[in-house]
Amino acid sequence: MMLIANAPYDDAGHEESGHPERPDRMSAARGALDDLHLAEDLREVGPYLASRSELMRVHAGTYLDELGAFCYAGGGDIDVDTYATYDSWLIAQNAAGAGLAVIGELERLQDGVGFVATRPPGHHALRDRGMGFCLLNNIAIAAASLTAKGERVLIVDWDVHHGNGTQSIFWDNPDVLYVSTHQSPLFPGSGAPYEIGGMKALGRTINIPLPAGATGDVLRRGLAEIATPVIDDFAPTWVLVSAGFDSHRDDPMADLALTSGDFALLGRSVAQFAPRRGRLAFFLEGGYNLGALRTSVAATLASALDESIEFERPSSGGPGMTTIDSTLEERSVALRIAHEAAAKGDYS
Amino acid sequence: MKTLETIAVGFDDSPDSRAAVRWAFSLASRVEANVVIVHAVGLMDRFEGRDDAPAIEESLHRLCDDCDFERERVRVHISNGDACSVLLRAVDDPIAADLLVVGSRGQGKHPGLLLGSTSLELAEHASVPVVIVPTL
Repeated sequence: MMLIANAPYDDAGHEESGHPERPDRMSAARGALDDLHLAEDLREVGPYLASRSELMRVHAGTYLDELGAFCYAGGGDIDVDTYATYDSWLIAQNAAGAGLAVIGELERLQDGVGFVATRPPGHHALRDRGMGFCLLNNIAIAAASLTAKGERVLIVDWDVHHGNGTQSIFWDNPDVLYVSTHQSPLFPGSGAPYEIGGMKALGRTINIPLPAGATGDVLRRGLAEIATPVIDDFAPTWVLVSAGFDSHRDDPMADLALTSGDFALLGRSVAQFAPRRGRLAFFLEGGYNLGALRTSVAATLASALDESIEFERPSSGGPGMTTIDSTLEERSVALRIAHEAAAKGDYS
Repeated sequence: MKTLETIAVGFDDSPDSRAAVRWAFSLASRVEANVVIVHAVGLMDRFEGRDDAPAIEESLHRLCDDCDFERERVRVHISNGDACSVLLRAVDDPIAADLLVVGSRGQGKHPGLLLGSTSLELAEHASVPVVIVPTL
């Protein structure tokens, strides 16, 4: 099957000395494409600069104005984690545009799997504020472009950190089902099982927190038992993946114990959620160990494309099975209480 | 009007946040409120392997002594997240803050811009009153 990826754009200007979210990450992700040896089965699209109206489906105009002005005034630290430079505004628009270009090509071809290799990442970015290394919420901008055309979008987020920005943006949108697996407790502190969506979208947010040390078998059980029944009912017309690879056991940002073999299994699983070919795209989020990032991206894409490459054995035996049990219970209780409150007009 | 029972103060041990704590102690003494010191642990803390908890406790003890404020009426809450989100969550249980207090830092390199200002973000989004304490 064909891989549709965004063409490289110059992201070198978005860099801060010593910061882990750095241009080398893009080289590692692009290196994974070389490892797949796809030849003519790799098609690159763009670069494409997201327009203001495309960004405003997700972000407040005042925030876009502030971010642009902040960058053109020389940039600096937005918070203790998140930086912007003079070039960051243009680079962030390219990152958002990359997702739109890949989605557009998938729509045109009605075939293939998409890979959006971009930085800065996006899933922490809120409607009116960048945070957690993220400036614009790339996957949300792409998902919003699809829901504007009446599509029903499943977002699976397996970054080690909860995608608070994406969850918040689609909190009350019944056309988006957001599923996150993430380490907890960990930054950004959100992503509890009782966070289930707003009144118009009750149950459309699924959070599967995992304890430090959790292995792939735990994560897979969480997806199978908590998320899959809801996904089946939701019947997505598109599947977008916030593919963060900082849940790899070698990543310095967290303590999950996944391997590239686990990402291969995850890549296959999410491909099965797509209703047909040409309706699946992976968006790069975190991943700060360059070797782990490269092998994990390659394993994910190879699996989704039905290509065979070598990767690490899937992990198993870590803690967290009881957490899955309690998450099932907590979510069920939260849904019951929310439905009762909604019936009384007392839920928001 | 609800009684002022719990004051949450954003604290990162900077001079600005120490000024905010002193102001909160002063108010808490007058209205017999408790104070919760809220410290955010971000992505870079984790990446750089920083554990600020001991330094925060030590600094806080000094501030209590300086301001003659009872240590028993202060607790420290360290939470994962960015400073703004962590303070906004302080309004909910278990802290249930009635008032948020922050230092005035965060105007950043570009004082005319909202971006990067925790205090202004809080003022826009918080569901309880916010006090921004200037550094004198």
